[in-house]
Amino acid sequence: MTVADVLRILESNPVYQKRVLHLETTLPEFSEYGMLDEPLSPALQSYLDQKGIRLYCHQCEAINHIRAGKNAIITTPTASGKTLAFNIPLFEHLENDLGARALYLYPTKALANDQLATLLRMETYCGLDAKPAIYDGDTPQSKRATIRENARIIVSNPHEIHHILSWHTKWRLFFSGLRYIVIDEAHRYRGVFGSNIAFLIRRLLRICRYYGSSPQFVLSTATLANPLEFAENLTGQHFVLVDKDGSPHGTKNFVFYNPFFNGVGERSAHQETKDLLLSCVQNNLQTLCFAGSRKMAELITVWAREDARRISVQLAESITAYRAGFLPEERRMIERGAKDGTMRGIVSTNALELGIDIGALDAVIISGYPGTMMSTHQQAGRAGRSGNESLAILVAQANPLDQYFMNHPREFFLRPHEHAIIDIKNPYIFSGHLLCAAAELPLNEITDGKSFSQTLSDILPELASGDLLKKTSRGWVYSGRGRAADAVRLDGIPGETFRILCQGKLLETMSREQAYREAHNGAIMLHQGTTYLVTEMDLEIHTIRVVETDVDYYTQPLKEVDLSVINVLETKVIQGLECAFGDVEVTEHYTGFKIKRGDTIIAVEPLSLPPLTFRTEAFWFIVTADIETTICEAGLDFAGGLHGTEHALIALMPLYVVCDRWDIGGLSSPSFGDAGKPTVFVYDAFEGGIGLAEKAYELLPALFASAHELVRDCRCEDGCPTCIYSPKCGNDNQPLDKEATIRILGRQIKMQEEERSAGCASEPENTCRVPAGMVN
Amino acid sequence: MGLGGHFCVFPPYAGSSTPMDSASSSWKRGRLASMVGMHARYEFASLSSCTVGCLSFLLQRFMLTMSALQVHSRIGNLWRQRIDTMREYEVLRDGNVFGTGFSNSFVFSTEYEQARRMLGELVTRYQDLTVETVFEGKEITNDGGTCYLLESRHNIPVPHFDRDQFRNEVFKDITLVHGVGLATRKRLNDRGFHRIPDLLEHPKFRSGAHQVLDCLRRDNSAEIMDLIGCRYSKSHPAVLGVAAMHEPEDFVFFDIETLGLFSRPITLFGIGIIERGDLIVRQYLLRDIAEEQAALAATSEILSGRHRAVVTFNGKSFDLPYLLDRLAYYGMAIPPQIPHFDVLHFSRRRWKDRFPSLRLTALEREVLGIHRKDDVPGQMVPEFFETYLRTGNCGPLVPVVDHNRQDVVSLARLFFHQIRESYDGC
Repeated sequence: MTVADVLRILESNPVYQKRVLHLETTLPEFSEYGMLDEPLSPALQSYLDQKGIRLYCHQCEAINHIRAGKNAIITTPTASGKTLAFNIPLFEHLENDLGARALYLYPTKALANDQLATLLRMETYCGLDAKPAIYDGDTPQSKRATIRENARIIVSNPHEIHHILSWHTKWRLFFSGLRYIVIDEAHRYRGVFGSNIAFLIRRLLRICRYYGSSPQFVLSTATLANPLEFAENLTGQHFVLVDKDGSPHGTKNFVFYNPFFNGVGERSAHQETKDLLLSCVQNNLQTLCFAGSRKMAELITVWAREDARRISVQLAESITAYRAGFLPEERRMIERGAKDGTMRGIVSTNALELGIDIGALDAVIISGYPGTMMSTHQQAGRAGRSGNESLAILVAQANPLDQYFMNHPREFFLRPHEHAIIDIKNPYIFSGHLLCAAAELPLNEITDGKSFSQTLSDILPELASGDLLKKTSRGWVYSGRGRAADAVRLDGIPGETFRILCQGKLLETMSREQAYREAHNGAIMLHQGTTYLVTEMDLEIHTIRVVETDVDYYTQPLKEVDLSVINVLETKVIQGLECAFGDVEVTEHYTGFKIKRGDTIIAVEPLSLPPLTFRTEAFWFIVTADIETTICEAGLDFAGGLHGTEHALIALMPLYVVCDRWDIGGLSSPSFGDAGKPTVFVYDAFEGGIGLAEKAYELLPALFASAHELVRDCRCEDGCPTCIYSPKCGNDNQPLDKEATIRILGRQIKMQEEERSAGCASEPENTCRVPAGMVN
Repeated sequence: MGLGGHFCVFPPYAGSSTPMDSASSSWKRGRLASMVGMHARYEFASLSSCTVGCLSFLLQRFMLTMSALQVHSRIGNLWRQRIDTMREYEVLRDGNVFGTGFSNSFVFSTEYEQARRMLGELVTRYQDLTVETVFEGKEITNDGGTCYLLESRHNIPVPHFDRDQFRNEVFKDITLVHGVGLATRKRLNDRGFHRIPDLLEHPKFRSGAHQVLDCLRRDNSAEIMDLIGCRYSKSHPAVLGVAAMHEPEDFVFFDIETLGLFSRPITLFGIGIIERGDLIVRQYLLRDIAEEQAALAATSEILSGRHRAVVTFNGKSFDLPYLLDRLAYYGMAIPPQIPHFDVLHFSRRRWKDRFPSLRLTALEREVLGIHRKDDVPGQMVPEFFETYLRTGNCGPLVPVVDHNRQDVVSLARLFFHQIRESYDGC
C-alpha cells in the first residue's frame, strides 16, 4: 500500500470525502548540487565521499559565505543538511587555526546531545583534534575546568551562557579564541524569550570584544518572513541569507481535513485524528502524528491501539506515544523502532518537531493547527523518505485560525511565513541584562550604549538610585546584594513570581498576570495533562495552593479592561480610517469567573483581586461616523461590531507576527475617552511592549483583509468560536454582532479595492511619524 | 517652549492622570509628571497650524521624555524589589542540623532574629553619625582612588620559627625522595642511610635526592609545600611545617567581607601582619562602592611584597579567587602567586573527628576560648552593609568591622597554635 492508495481512500470514502477540503500537491524536485569556491581539505572530502554525500547548492552557498567571513542565516527546510553546511567550514577553520574555538547553542539537551554525537563522529573521521564537549548545567564540576581549557568546540545552551558570563575570567582562553557562534533552531528565540536572548548575545559579544575576538555567526532557522531582520535583531550583526533549497524530495501531498466541515462537526478532532492514523497504519504507511498536548497524544494512542487490537495485536503494539517525559531508554527504543520500521504509528507532542533523529516517515498527521505556519511546515516536513511520495494531513480544530485555513487554503500555501519578532527596545528586558553586564565588567555609557544599541543616559541613574549600580572612575559597577544573573529570568519580564504548590510540592511558577488569569481562587488549572483546582491564593507570600481534581467543568475569568493613551508615536490614515500606534497604560481587572460545562455556563463567581496596571504598546483605529450611521440604520449592534472586529483581529494576528492569543489583548469602545470616538485597541500583553502591536501596525491593511475574509466566509449565522467568539473574552463574548463586524471590516476592504481600481497609490494618505525612542 | 501667550493642544487621547511612582521620583520629576497628568489645559490663541503642529510635536516629545523617565523609575524599583527578595542563605529552625541542600549557607532562626533586631538598634543608635566619627581611621589615597583605613594592634603569642630545625626535619624524611616508600626506608635505614644528603651516595636514589635538595635550596616555600603535599597530602601537618621557612613578618593574614557569594563587590578587606612582635590588623573599608578599587590596589600591593605568604580560612576556595576576580573586573594587575596556607584545610584534617563544626567561630571557641558578643553571622554581613549603603547610617558597619577584625585575629592565632602543636607533635 502506498501514499497514493491512501489518497484514493480519502477521496472515495464518503465519510472522509466530506471532510477533505483541500489537497495541495507539490511536484517532486531533483537535487540541485553546488560548487565550492575552493576545494575541501582531503580529510573533509573523504569524509563526504565515504558517506556518499554530494553537497547541495545551498550547502555550497553557505560554505562559501562562511569561508568569506560573513554571518549567514540558513532557512532551508528540516533534513536539507543544514548541519553539514556549517560543520564543514568550521572544521576547516579549526584544522588550520589551532587557537580557534567555536560555540554551538541549542535550545534543548536532546538536540545538544545529537549534535555532539555528530561532531565526535566527524572529528574521528577527519582526524581533527577539537575535543568537542557539552558544557551545561549537568556537566560535573570536576570536568568543567578541563573543558574550558581544552575543548575547541563547546556545545551549550543560552541559560548556561547567561550564568557563566560572570565567570568570564575562567573562560579567557576560550573567548579570546572564539571564531564562530552557531545558533541552531534560532526561530525559537522570538517574543519575550527571544528578546532576552538577543541581549544575552550582546553581552556575550561584549565579553568577546574585551578578550579581543569578534566571532562570526551562523544561524539555522525554519522559514521566516523576515529572516534578515530577525537575525540582525537577535545578534546586532549583518547577515546574508541562504534560502534556496537544493535537496531533493518526492511528490508531497498536503491534505486539509476539517472535522467541522458542516460547522458543527460530528466527533472531536482527536477522534477523527485517531481514525486517520489507523487508516494510514493499516495501509502500511509509517506515520507520525502530532497532537497539541501530552494528554491528547496519550489519548489518541490509547484509542488507536484499542481499535487496532480488533484487527491484530501486532498492529496495536506498533502504535506508540513519544514525548519528552519518557525516560531516555524508552525514547531510544522508540527511535530505533521508527528507524527499523517496527514502529508504524508514533503519536507525539511537538517535541519531535525539534529535529531529534527519528528519520523520515511516509505520512504525518497534525492534529490541530500548531499555532504557526512555521511549525506546521516543520512538522509536515517529517514526511517523505528520500525521493518517495509523502502525505501530510492537517486536521482542524474548532477555532478561528484552524477554520480560517480550512476555508482559505490558498492563504496557507501562498502566504509568506510569519514574522518572528524580537524587541530590542523594551526597557524592562534590557535593564535586566544591563545589570548582568555591569556585574561582568564595569559599564561604560558610550561604548556599552553601542553594545546594546540603546541610549543609557536615563536608565543608568535610575538603576543607581535603586542602589543596584554605582558610578565609579572605572565605569558603572554592579552593587546589588543579589546576584544579577539569578534575578534576570530569560523567559520573562521582571515581575513578581507566584509559586503553584500541590501538597507542598512546586508544580510551576507564573507571573502575576498569568496567575490572576489562570490560577485565581476557584480556578480549574491544567498542568501537564492533570487537572487541578485552586484552593488558596495568597498574594502576600506569592503562593497558590492547588489540589488534584477530576471535575467535568472548567473555568473562565471575567475581566474588565481600562486603557489610556500615554503617547502617540505614529499615525496613519488607511483609506479614511485614522490608525495609530503608541504607548498606552492598561488596567486589567479580573472581577469574577464563569464555571462552564462544555458550552453551558453553570455558575458565575466573583473574584476580589486588585487591578493589574502596566504600560505597553498598542495600535488602534477609529471607526468613522459614516460607518457607524450605516450600521445603526441597518438595525445592527454597533458595539457588537466593534467587539467582533477586535476579536477577529486578535485571532488572526498570529498569521502575521509569531505570537499566541495570550500575548495580545484588546479593547473596543463605541465611545472612548474625552473625544468619545468609537475605537478598537490591540495591545501587547507585556509590560513595556514586545514589538507585536508595532509589527501588526505596519501590516494593518493585510490584517484587516484577512479578518474580513475570516468573518465573511464563516458559515455560521451569528458568529461562532471560529470567527468572532474569543475563548479568552473577559466580557463573556458580549456584545457581538457578526454582520456589523463584516460591515466595519468590509468597509475598509471596499475602500482599499476602490483605491486600487482607481489607480491610486496604495500608500496611506497621511503618515505623521514621530520617531520612536527619541529621548531628550 | 519659548512662545509667548497661551496655547492649546488637543491631545488625541484621554484618560486618567498617569500614576506616579512615589517611591523614587525626585521632586522635580514629580512636578513635571503631574503637569503631564493634567493634560496641558491651556487656552487657545490664534496661532498658525504650522506652529500648532510644531507645538504638538514638541509636546509629544516632551511627554515621551516624561513617560520614558517614569518608565525608568518604575524599572529601577522593580529590580530593586526583586533583588531584595534574594537571599544566599536559608533560615533554619533551631537545632535543625540536617539543614537543606546548601551545606554552609544557613543561619538558625534565633540567630537571624537577633541579628535583625541588632540591626534596627544600631540604626537608631548611630543616626546622623559619620563613618569618620564612629571609626578611628584615616583616608588613604592611591592609584585606585580613596578608601578608609582602620588599624588596630593585638598581642598574640607568636611561636619561634627555627629554619634550621625545619631543614633538619626535612632532611630526615627520606621518603620524600622519589621511589622511597616505607619498606625501602627501613632497608635504607638499616644500611646506614638516614638523611636525604646521605642518599647522594646511593646509586639508585642519587638523582631523586638531588631533586629534593635542589628544591630546598631554591628556598621557595610554595614549591616545597607542593613537594611535601604530593608525598603526603596537601593538608598534612608537614606542609604546615613549611611555615617555618618564613619569618613571622612574612605572613599576610587575609579575610574579606563581600556583598554576596560571587560577582559582587568586596566591601571590607581585613589584613593582619606581624610587626615588632604584635599583630597589626589593617582593615580597608569601602565607605562607598566607588572606593573598592583603592582598597583592591592597597591589598594587591601588600600581597606583592617579597617573601610574602598568605594565610586564610577557606581562602583557597573563597577569598583569593574572589580577590583575583575583582582585580580582573577592574582590569587591575594580579599580584604574583605566593605560598598559601589555608587554615581550614589543616583544621579539617586535624580536628574533623574532634569538633562537630569547623567554622572559624566554632574553632575559636573550642581551641582558643574566644566567645564573640553581639556578632553578626557571616552570611548576613551583606545585608548589614547594604543597609549602610542605602541609608548612609554607619551603625550596621560596626559589627561588620568587629566581625572581620576578630576573624583576622582568630585566624592568626589558630595558625600559630597549629604550628606550635605540629612542632610538638611531629
